[in-house]
Amino acid sequence: MKTILLLEDLPEIRAWLKTLVMQVFPDGQISEAARVHDALELVSAIKFDLALCDLGLPDGSGVAVVEKLRETQSECQSVVVTIHDDDEHLFPALQAGAFGYILKEQPRELITEQLTRMSQGEPPLSPSIARRVIAYFAAQSKPQQPDLMPHVSLTERESEVLLRVAKGFTLPEIGVQLGLSRHTIADYVKQIYRKLNVSSRAEAALEAQRLGLFRR
Amino acid sequence: MLCGLLTLPGLAQASLAAGLGVLAFADAIVAADTAQGVFPVDAEQHVVPLPDDWGPSHPAGAGPLWYRLRFDVATSPAASDVLGVYFERMCAGIDVHLNGHRLHATRPPGQPSSFECQRPLLISLPTALLRASGNELDLRVAGFKLQHVASSLRATRLPAPLIGPEAQLEQRHIRQTLLAETAPAAMTGVLVLAGLLALSIARARRRDVHLRYFALFALGWALLCARPLWQALAQTGVPVELGLAAAMPFLLLLAVQFLMHYAGWRSRPIEVALVAQCLAMPASLLLAGDQRIYIIASTWYALLLLQLLGAIAFYIGATWRVRRRDFAVMAGWLGLGAALAVLMLAAEERLLDPHWHLLPSLLAPLIVVGIGWHLIGHYGRALQAAEESRQALELRVREASADMEKNFAQLAEQRVEQVTQQERKRIAADLHDDLGAKLLTIVHTSESERISTLAREALEEMRLSVRGLTGKPVKLIDALGDWRAEVVGRLSQTGVEGEWSAPTEELPQTLSARAYVQTTRILREAVNNIIKHSGASRCTIRCVIDSGDFQLAIQDNGKGIPLELDGRLDRGHGMASMKHRAKQLHGQCLVESGPGYGTVIRLTLPLERHTTNV
Repeated sequence: MKTILLLEDLPEIRAWLKTLVMQVFPDGQISEAARVHDALELVSAIKFDLALCDLGLPDGSGVAVVEKLRETQSECQSVVVTIHDDDEHLFPALQAGAFGYILKEQPRELITEQLTRMSQGEPPLSPSIARRVIAYFAAQSKPQQPDLMPHVSLTERESEVLLRVAKGFTLPEIGVQLGLSRHTIADYVKQIYRKLNVSSRAEAALEAQRLGLFRR
Repeated sequence: MLCGLLTLPGLAQASLAAGLGVLAFADAIVAADTAQGVFPVDAEQHVVPLPDDWGPSHPAGAGPLWYRLRFDVATSPAASDVLGVYFERMCAGIDVHLNGHRLHATRPPGQPSSFECQRPLLISLPTALLRASGNELDLRVAGFKLQHVASSLRATRLPAPLIGPEAQLEQRHIRQTLLAETAPAAMTGVLVLAGLLALSIARARRRDVHLRYFALFALGWALLCARPLWQALAQTGVPVELGLAAAMPFLLLLAVQFLMHYAGWRSRPIEVALVAQCLAMPASLLLAGDQRIYIIASTWYALLLLQLLGAIAFYIGATWRVRRRDFAVMAGWLGLGAALAVLMLAAEERLLDPHWHLLPSLLAPLIVVGIGWHLIGHYGRALQAAEESRQALELRVREASADMEKNFAQLAEQRVEQVTQQERKRIAADLHDDLGAKLLTIVHTSESERISTLAREALEEMRLSVRGLTGKPVKLIDALGDWRAEVVGRLSQTGVEGEWSAPTEELPQTLSARAYVQTTRILREAVNNIIKHSGASRCTIRCVIDSGDFQLAIQDNGKGIPLELDGRLDRGHGMASMKHRAKQLHGQCLVESGPGYGTVIRLTLPLERHTTNV
C-alpha cells in the first residue's frame, strides 16, 4: 500500500489527478491538500511514499512541501505537477529535492505512463533542465571556498548523459548510443537529481551561514 | 667762430684764446655779501679754489657769498660768436653780473635754493658787454651749508664755471639736462606707473600683501624723486630737509616689509621696530637742532642702508633654502639694488664725486621697475596657472557630469528594463494562474475530446506566448535540442518513425525569443498534421544552416494534403498560419504536397535578423 500526498488547489484538477493516481496505484491511500499549510501539516502527521505537488498555490509554492519532505521523509518521492514547463520554475523544485515533474495539461495516458515510470525510478529530464543542471555544476566546480563546500561533482558518464539530453536525444536513444540499458541511463538521471539536491542543500547551508542565519 | 684770444693773466683770471674752446676756472675771489647788490669791492676778499664746497671753506657764516672771476678775450669776438658761462650743477640761488650788468637771477632773487641741485645752468654773455681784457664775472651765491641739509648733495658747492662759445656749451647743457633732469623725471614716471599697476593688482589680491608694500614703496620713492617737479610748491629750508630725511625710514619700512612678505615670513617685533624707527629718526633730527641735521641724517642713512642690506640678505637666504623658482631673478635684481644703494650712500658721504650720484638715481628706479615686472609676471603666471587649473577642473566636472548622466541614463534604462521584466513576469504569472488553470480544467473535465484538444492547444499557445513575452534569446543549438526532444518524443509516442538531422556542434547563432516561439509553433503544427492527418509511417526532419539562413524541411510519406476545388492546398491543415508566422519572421514557408506523394514543408528564416544578443 502506498501513501500518497496530492497537493493541488483547483478542485477539478485535484479530482482528475486523484482518479489518475488511483488508476496507477489502485491500492494507494491518498491524502489531499489544497494549500501549502495543509500539506505541511499532513507531512508532519503522515509518512508518505509519493507526493504530487503543484507549484503555484494560494498560500505559497509547493517547493516548500518538497523541501520539507526531503528533510523529514527522505524515502518519499516528490513529483512536481505543474502547468509551468520552463526551467525557471522547475529547476528550484528539482534543487529542493523533487524527483521529477509532470506537466498537467498532458493527456491522461502520457501522465499515467510518466507516473508509472517515475515510480519505477525513471524520472523525466528535458533538454532545458539538462542545460540548467550542466550550467549549475559548471559554476559549482569553479574554485570558490573549496574548504567549506562539500564537493559534489558529476561523473563523466553523468555529464555525458546530460549533454546528450541537452541536445534533444531521448533517454532510450542515449542508451543505444552509449551501449547501456535503459535502466542504467535512468539510474544516471536519478543520480543527477540526487546530486543536484545534495549540492543545492550544501550551497543553501553555506549561503545561510554567510548571511549569519546560523549564529551560535 | 671765436677769433679772439682768452687769456688767464693771473690769479682768479682766465683768458680765452681762439681755437682753444672752453676754459675752466680753477679759482675765484670770494667776499661776503654786504647787501649792496654788487660785488663788495671794499669787503675782505680772498681766493678760493674751485669747485668751492661751502662746508669746509666757509664754516662760519651762512649768508650769501660773492665770487669774482676775471677773464680776457684776446680778440674782439665777431657778433656771431656768442660766449656763455656754464655751471654743471647749480645747487644754490645765483645772481650773475658781467662787468657790472646783471645777466641772471634765480627767482626770487637772492633766496637760497637747494632744489635745483642737479640742474645745469647756461647763461649767455652778451658780446656788447665784453671787453678785450679785464672782464669781471661776479656771482652772488645763496645756498645752504652742509650742516643744514639732510643730504650732502643739497649742500652748496660752486662748481668751476666754464666759459666758451655758447654753441659748444649748449651741447654740454643739453646732455647734462637730459641726464640730471629729464631721465630721472622719466624714471619717476615709470616708477609711478609700476607702483599704480602693482597697487591695482594688490587691491584685487588682498592675500598678496607683498604687492601692496611694493606698490607703496614704488610710489613713495617716485614722490621723493619728483622733488624737482613740486619744488615750486614747497619752501626750502630746514622743514623740507627734515621731511625728506624722515621719508627714508618709511621707504625702508616698505622695502623690508615687501621682502619679508615676499619671502613668506612675518615678524611682529621687526615690524614694530621699523615703525618705531620711523618715529625715532625725525625725533632725533628735531632734538639735534638745525646745525646737526647732516651728521644725524647721514648716520641714519648708513643705519638704514645696513638694515636694507640685511633684509636683502635675509630674503636671498630664505628663498635659497626653499629653492624658490624665481630665486635667480630676484637675487639678481636685489644684488644690483644693494650695490646701487651702497653707491648712493658713498656718493652721499662724499666718498665719491657727486656725479656718481646720477648713476643710482637713474638705475635704481629701473631695478624697482624690474622687480615690479617680475612680480606682475609672477602674478600673471599664477593667474594663468589658476585659469588652467580652473579649466582642468571644469573639464573634470564636465566629464564627471557626463559620466553621471551616462550612468543615470544607464540606470534609468536598466530600471525600465527591470520594470518591464517585472511586469512581463506578472502578466506571465497571471496568465498561468488564471487562464492556464481554467484551460487546464477544460482540458481535463471536458466531455468532448475536440474541446479538450483545443483547450490543450490553447494552453500550449499561451505558454509559448508567455515565453515570447518574457524570453531571453535562445542559442540556436539549444533550440535545436528542445525541438528534437519534442518532435522525436511525440513521433515515437505515436508510432511514427522519426529521423532528425541537425548540426550538433556548438553554433554561434542565437534566436530571439519570438523567433524561437514561432518556429516551435510551426514545427509543432507540422508534426501535429503528420500525426493526425497524414497517416504517415515515417517522418524526416532536416535542419541546415546555409549562408545565413536557417532551413527546416519536414517531410513525411503520408497521403499528402488534399487539393481544394480551386487547386489550392487545404487551409484546414494550418498551412496559412504557418506561412503567416514565417512571414512575420521575414522568412517563408513552402508546402509541397500531392495526394499519395506525402508532404514537404520547407521553412527558411534569415538568421541575421534573429541572432540578436539582446
